[in-house]
Amino acid sequence: MSRVPALLVMHADLGAALLHAAGQVYGPCEDLPVLSNEGLSRAALEHAIAGKVAGWSAGGLVLTDFWGGSCHLCGLAAARACGGATAAGEIVVVTGLNLPMLLDYLHNRDRCAVVELAERLQLKGQESVRLQRCQPA
Amino acid sequence: MSWQIHRVDDRLIHGQVVIAWGARLRPARIWVVDDASAANPWERELLASAAAGAEVRVVTVAEAAAAWAAEATAPGGAFLIVPDLATARALIEAGAPVPSFTLGGLHYAPGKTKVNEYVYLDADDRADARALLARGVALEVQDVPASRPQSLASLDPGSAP
Repeated sequence: MSRVPALLVMHADLGAALLHAAGQVYGPCEDLPVLSNEGLSRAALEHAIAGKVAGWSAGGLVLTDFWGGSCHLCGLAAARACGGATAAGEIVVVTGLNLPMLLDYLHNRDRCAVVELAERLQLKGQESVRLQRCQPA
Repeated sequence: MSWQIHRVDDRLIHGQVVIAWGARLRPARIWVVDDASAANPWERELLASAAAGAEVRVVTVAEAAAAWAAEATAPGGAFLIVPDLATARALIEAGAPVPSFTLGGLHYAPGKTKVNEYVYLDADDRADARALLARGVALEVQDVPASRPQSLASLDPGSAP
């Protein structure tokens, strides 16, 4: 199975910081470009994302921070402009990315299909948010 | 209550709108005034999905001008967002008596010069700004509620009438 490509699109330096942190846990994170929305209009951000995902002939994942933000909306618009879903694969925008999800992507990008991986990341993100109340010793 | 903010932002609905201003003011409705978006069903659906908890209305300039007065007295708060100063000016010239616009994000593009970190203007933008100010419409620069609003004319003398 071929590798599912991904693009990190996030506010300010968050994408680069997440990738750096993932590298501390996973090791070198190759083939994972990062885009920041900083200083970009909607049109410019869409164009920048489209330039990255246009070559994904078998689909891939646009990994973004929060639902409703410019990274999410521009990711959707760029994916749609690039065909969105093709016979060979689909571009899926994933919101709410956190470090456990990014690590799960890195561990599974070579053995899952695009949609399967996207759904796996969604579940991983949900499972990774837990509450643990601590009583005094 | 109705109109809470009239914003000029080339990103239309995005994080600063739904997270920063939205959490502070909790609008019942968000009006996106943009002829191109209003003519595109997919774009309307995209924008409508972006703001949980508020009804999103994507309308043309003419539709917004016609609905502005009724919205002003409607229950609940409302945001109005235009993508650029040309649309803000068109809205005023179409008859909507908007008292002020907040410039929240007009990002760099070739030919535009920097006013601050999130506002860049070209000659056409400045002409629109002067026209708006000459009609008595206040223009303030402020991206999020926590930042200090500043008048555009004080930051950019080329925009002053």
